Order: sequence, then structure tokens, then C-alpha cells
Amino acid sequence: MTEQRKKILIVDDERLNINVLHELLKDDYKTMAAISGKQALKAAESDSPPDLILLDIMMPEMDGYEVCKTLKSHDKTKDIPIIFVTAMGQTSDETKGLEYGAVDYLTKPVSGPIVHARVKTHLELKRQKDELKTAYKLIESQKDRMEDELLVGREIQMSMVPQEFPPFPEKTEFTLHAKLFPAREVGGDFYDYFLIDEDRLCLCIGDVSGKGVPAALFMAVTRTLVKARATEDRSTASIITRVNDELARDNQKFMFVTLFLAVLEISTGKVTYTNAGHNPTILRRKSGDLELLDAFHGPVVAASPELAFKEDTITLEEGDKLVIYTDGVTDTRNVEKDFFTQARLEKLVSRTGTIDAEQLVEEIFTEVKKFEGEADQFDDITLMALSLEADTTTGLIDEFSITIENQLSAISKANLKLNEFVEKHALTTELRRQFNLVIDELLNNITSYAYEDEEVHQIDVHGALYENQFVLKVIDDGIPFNPFIGPAPELADSLEDQAIGGLGIHLVKNLMDQATYRREINQNSVTLIKKLQ
Amino acid sequence: MEIKTRDENDIKVIYLEGEMDTNTSPEVLSELDNLRNSGVKKMLLNLEKLDFISSAGLRVLLATAQQLKASGGDFRVCQLNKEIKEVFDISGFSTLLMVFENEAKGISGM
Repeated sequence: MTEQRKKILIVDDERLNINVLHELLKDDYKTMAAISGKQALKAAESDSPPDLILLDIMMPEMDGYEVCKTLKSHDKTKDIPIIFVTAMGQTSDETKGLEYGAVDYLTKPVSGPIVHARVKTHLELKRQKDELKTAYKLIESQKDRMEDELLVGREIQMSMVPQEFPPFPEKTEFTLHAKLFPAREVGGDFYDYFLIDEDRLCLCIGDVSGKGVPAALFMAVTRTLVKARATEDRSTASIITRVNDELARDNQKFMFVTLFLAVLEISTGKVTYTNAGHNPTILRRKSGDLELLDAFHGPVVAASPELAFKEDTITLEEGDKLVIYTDGVTDTRNVEKDFFTQARLEKLVSRTGTIDAEQLVEEIFTEVKKFEGEADQFDDITLMALSLEADTTTGLIDEFSITIENQLSAISKANLKLNEFVEKHALTTELRRQFNLVIDELLNNITSYAYEDEEVHQIDVHGALYENQFVLKVIDDGIPFNPFIGPAPELADSLEDQAIGGLGIHLVKNLMDQATYRREINQNSVTLIKKLQ
Repeated sequence: MEIKTRDENDIKVIYLEGEMDTNTSPEVLSELDNLRNSGVKKMLLNLEKLDFISSAGLRVLLATAQQLKASGGDFRVCQLNKEIKEVFDISGFSTLLMVFENEAKGISGM
């Protein structure tokens, strides 16, 4: 296919001049003619405009300058290259023409080779300019698309991480907080936490390689797989091993994710965790001493199938804290290009006092941002903190203890003891009745289900009155059993359908402000707290 | 645990006083069973002086209510004090059983 011939508009009030130029150009170009400024404008604004204009300056009514000025002021015609053709040959006229936006000038009488050369050059320049413009438009639109994609990815990412704090207000044994501060572009951090059951809390943090929608979707899949496995699998090593197999199987984009997964048994403080290519979690003991959970349990997840990941366990005591984070924290750089570093983070964590998880996260985050200063944040910054809260009960007024045998008939002894105590301190009837009920339910449960032998066992009941609350502790040496695990009983809406099972514990949980279970060495320990008005 | 009764036409009004817990509930159950076996079809339990009721006690009320209903009888409770009402609400018994404010309202229409 031959290229369409370019159109040249020749503007001159002298037909002779038009003819000269026409003869010179007709073999290579399609020519059009205009004998006045007005005609020239009309031709230029038509639906088949010229690719280049040869414009005479001296014309009656509207001279060449005027035509040029008009053409340059309209969007539709402003990009058509104009070459002035002047008889005057004076520099000042040429300068004036160029000021009006002409690309070049020719002097009459014109020379064939020069006309050809100038026309060719300017048509070529115009072509290149057009190409650049198209390319630029393409780049712009691609850039928009990429930014859109990053934005969509970011939205998926942020909608995925839970952001309700405190996440489990009914759990007073621990506080938990997390924060993800996304970088403008790069970054694939995520975190998740959920209760597997009443006694087990799952924490997960990860950093996906890549960005945008693919990374966000990979994140979503990872999170879902972890959650699904965690509900039926007690071992973090096993959970990650399975998730790794799933993810690695169809990993066509060669993405991977670093993961730190931990499961806390609330009643014992035991934490089982697996670190798969992630930063070491920092354990801060109540004393301020740090331990790094930096054992290598396996590489990043999804990179290779059929790997066996490992796990470790630690036990948290009251007042201990876990600081879990992504490399966005330690790799934060200031304007001098220094890193925040692991060392700085550890020092900071060690220094923090008895604060809860939210304060801890905020304090670290503030320090990181302060360090960063005016520098750009180049990666997501994610922090999660878990704090086992120490018992803050103060102001003990009085307490009582009674040990009874594991017989149903002995339950009333405990209740009589409680009644004496209530009377002694002039506590309300309401409180007495609530605790009478609670003691009855708990001791009935223990006596009926906690012992597998026929031996006599002892159950300790301990009550303590504080300025602001009444605390009851029941301790038995029966088989490990957490009465608070399990769903609330179905409350039927008809008499015929109502079954009674689990109702007693349901009553206990609802009547008390706090009901917790801990398995201590060979003992079950249930603590009930009722706040005093 | 103290159980007193009085007759109002064919209705047996039953007053429960004390604690209805693991140890006392069997005693209440056998008393209510005795009444049913002697032909009582309509019962109204006045719980004003009931100190507390544990799930063991709720089980007794439920069993009696189910049995009376099955034999075409009627089982109602009235005069719940604050703590008993709380337990009834938490356990869903407020909607499961026919609960009345006082004896007069419980008796009417029985």
C-alpha cells in the first residue's frame, strides 16, 4: 500500500506564483490553492485540511500574518506547519513571520530544490511530532491504568484487614492492636486475627511479593486458606505446610508471601508459632527483657510445594507482649538514607513500660514516622501487638475460702459460706443470688463431669471482695475442661422443642462481667468477676 | 426449700420459697409430680419468694410444663422477682413459659 500523498495548500493572490509552486510540487504532493486569506482559512478549517501551508505575506484585505495568527489561535489548525513565502527578502519580515508561529520561510523567486527540501523537512518534523504526541497519550493512559490498578489493589488490601479495635472487648486477658500504613505504591502487607474458639486466638501477618491487584488477590487467597485451615488444625506448622502446598500448586505468577502465624491459648498463655521467611517477632517479657522468635521454620510460602514447615512454642505470662511487624518497619529510611533497623526497634520495645497493645503500636509507629521525617515511605508499614494484661485488681477488702468434697450435697456448704460473707459486708441480695446460682452451676458441673475415678476430690472455692468488684475462683483437680468453650445453647421458641444442655454455663457467662478459664498444673481454674456499682 | 399450695377452683397455686438449685430441685420435682399424679392439671407457680433458680431448677419447671401441656393441662408462673426475671430472660424462659405479673392475672383465663 502506498502512503497517501500529503496535501500542500498554496496561498497567494497572484495566480502566477501559485502556478510556479504547483508545478514544482505536483509530482510528489497533492496541491490546493487559495487566492485570499479568507479562502486560506476556509481550506485550512475544512474536513480535509492541508498537511502544510505555503503562505504569501503581501495580500489585500487579509495579509499572511493575519492568516497565520488566526490559524495558530484555533485548536483545529494550530498544528499545521506554515512556511511563509516572501518577496521582500528582509530579515525583519522573516523574523515577524516566525514570531507569529511559522516554521520557516522561503524567498521569492523560489528555487525548486529549496522548496522541496523545506517542505519535506517540515512534513517529516510534523510527522514525528504527531507520533510523539500519540505515544505520549498512550503513556499517559497506561500510567492512569497502572495507577488505577494500584489503587484497586490497595482498596482490596485495606478492606481485607480487620480494623475494629479493640477487636475482642469481652476478652480482658489480653489486648490486641494492629495498624497497616500503606505506602503510596509498592507494598503487599496484610494482617489478620480471629478467635478460633473461645480459648484460642490466631494471629497472622504477611508480606506478599508484588503489588496491585494480583498481590491483593494473592493476599486474599492466603488469608482465606490460613483461616480455613486454622479452624481444624492446631499446629501452625501443619497449617502453613498445607497453605504452602495450596498456594505453590498453581502459582503461575511466581508470587510468594512471608508469613508469621501464631496461635495463643488464652487460658495457658501458650503460643505456638511458625515463621516462614518473615521478620523475627519480638517477645518482650514483663521485666523488659527481649526474646527474638527468630528460629527458621521454613522459607517464604508459595515458592515451592511439598515443604515441611516447623513450629515452636513459648509461654506468655501476664505482662508479656508480642510485637509482630513487617520489614516496612525496620527498612524505613530517613532523608540520610539510614535504616530504622531491627536494633532500633528492639531498643524501643524494651523501653516501653506497662502499656496496652494499642499504645504500644502507636508508640512504635510514631517513632518510625518521626525517624522517617521528610523521606518518602517506600513500603507498607505494618505492626501488630499482643499484650497479656496483668491483673489490675486493687483494693482488696476481705476474702474467704472453703474447700468442699466432690459431692452434690456439698454445694450448699459453699453457698452458705458465701451468704455469711455477703451478710458480713452488707452486700446486695442481688449479688448474693447471682453468686449462689453461679456456684451451684459450676460445682454441679465439676462434681458431675470432672472426675473419671470414684475417689474423693477437693474443690476450692475462693471469694474476694475488692473496692470495685467481687471475684470468685473455683479450682478443681479434675480432667482438663474449659466450661466456657462451646456454643451458647439454642433457645427454642416453643416449650416442646426446648432441650436443656449448656444452659447453666450460659447463665454464668451472662450473669458475670467476666468469666475466664485457665488450665494450671493439674488444675482447672475458673475466675468470675462481677463489677460492683 | 419450702413449698406451700392453695386451691383456687381447679387451679393449684404453688408457692416456692428458698433456693431452687442442684440439691433442692429434685425435691420440688417430686412434689410437682405428686400433684400431677393426684390429678392436678392446672398449676400456677408464685415465685415471689424464690431466692434463686439454677439450671437444675429450670429443668424441673420445663419438665412439668411439658408434661402438663401434653395432657391438656396448663402451667403458669407469676410474681418473678428481679433476679429470677433476669435468669428467665437470659435463658429464654420468659418466652418459653407463660409468665404473669401477679396471681390474679395468672389465674384469669386459666
